[in-house]
Amino acid sequence: MVSVGPSGELCEKISEISGQNPFLCMQCGTCSASCTGIGVMDLLPRQVVRMVQLGRREALACRSIWVCSSCLACTTRCPRGIDIARLMEALRAINLRRGHEVLSPERIPAALLTEVPQMAVTCAFRKLSA
Amino acid sequence: MKLPYFPGCTLYTRARGLDHSTRAALAALGIELEELPNWTCCGTAFPLAQDSYIGMVAAARILDSAAQHNGRLVTVCSFCYHVLKRVNHSIKNNAEARRKLNDYLEQGYGGETVPVHPLEILKHDVGFEALRARARGRLKGLKVACYYGCLLVRPAAEMAFDDPENPTIMEEFAAALGVEPVHFPYKTACCGSYQVLNAYDVVASRGREILAAAAAHGAQVLITSCPLCQFNLDWLQGRGEGTVLPALPVLYFTQLLGTALELPAEGLGFESHYVDPRPLLLG
Ligand code: SF4
Ligand code: SF4
Repeated sequence: MVSVGPSGELCEKISEISGQNPFLCMQCGTCSASCTGIGVMDLLPRQVVRMVQLGRREALACRSIWVCSSCLACTTRCPRGIDIARLMEALRAINLRRGHEVLSPERIPAALLTEVPQMAVTCAFRKLSA
Repeated sequence: MKLPYFPGCTLYTRARGLDHSTRAALAALGIELEELPNWTCCGTAFPLAQDSYIGMVAAARILDSAAQHNGRLVTVCSFCYHVLKRVNHSIKNNAEARRKLNDYLEQGYGGETVPVHPLEILKHDVGFEALRARARGRLKGLKVACYYGCLLVRPAAEMAFDDPENPTIMEEFAAALGVEPVHFPYKTACCGSYQVLNAYDVVASRGREILAAAAAHGAQVLITSCPLCQFNLDWLQGRGEGTVLPALPVLYFTQLLGTALELPAEGLGFESHYVDPRPLLLG
């Protein structure tokens, strides 16, 4: 697992990269209810935000940040004005900047790679590879 | 009227139908798109990390090169439109972004270019009333689901495109063509996007929901302006993984426009679709 010092430090780092204040979150769950990737997530977006508040490493190690499609549905609907997609990106960025990635070319089936639009490939590698 | 045009990478490869139908349909309506010289990829993903400016460089360069031509820059791919519009917004409103990008690119760009989407041109320059007069009723009665997805409408403050929860510009466009827009609840849902390469289950389940909702509301075709939405929803059905019967053709809105304007079908790119829309559209 990626390590980034004590819990307060992790929360601070995420706030800095995302530009968001996670402590505004009131745990209403609107983000989770709006989420595209929730069916394959281990932590709900609401829980990811809670882990960030607590500075818990689970936020960095969960699957949820990697199956997020940056759809901004959560961001659009959060009643506290938190851009949750930016929190997700910060969690990915901390991992990626330490070389922890989830997508590599050999994982993609050739039949898909030759068919899929180019921007999907560029976008997926920018989001999911170091 | 001539307007500068940024096609983007995918429109030169997998989404040629979107490029060709956009150019042909707008030309038929008196708008000539002039491709920018020496353009590059827009970057595809707007960087959501506050400290990542390198991800904005390509778009900043494109926007600057368009500023030398005319005030507006036309782009039709939802990804390109989203990235150009948000990077432009950052350059205009974030002094640090403006300074860093201009220093890096050795340019003095302040956000003067206005990225515009062809739907906006159809609404504001051509006018939906004028379009109504030009569409000859060939597609009359066809039931169309207008699918916006994420990138055109969100985040609303930066995209300033339409209502993020209930956009209507595509339905207004469809009505002007003489087809019948159906209202279905998934029009701004996400198709799973680039997760097609990483978490395919997201695309499969979300795609099925979107298609099923459109079909349940009577749609015979679905229209979009995003090559990735088009691919995800079309490919899924081509693999026999859709649950909608008969399969729902997934078109670019410009292909529907070209058909309504009775442009030659060979130039509209229908041959690369997995679910062939021709039997339904051209009968
Ligand atoms: S929608 Fe906003 S306030 Fe509600 S749980 Fe999610 S992040 Fe917290
Ligand atoms: S941006 Fe990510 S976390 Fe937010 S709703 Fe979309 S998939 Fe879920």
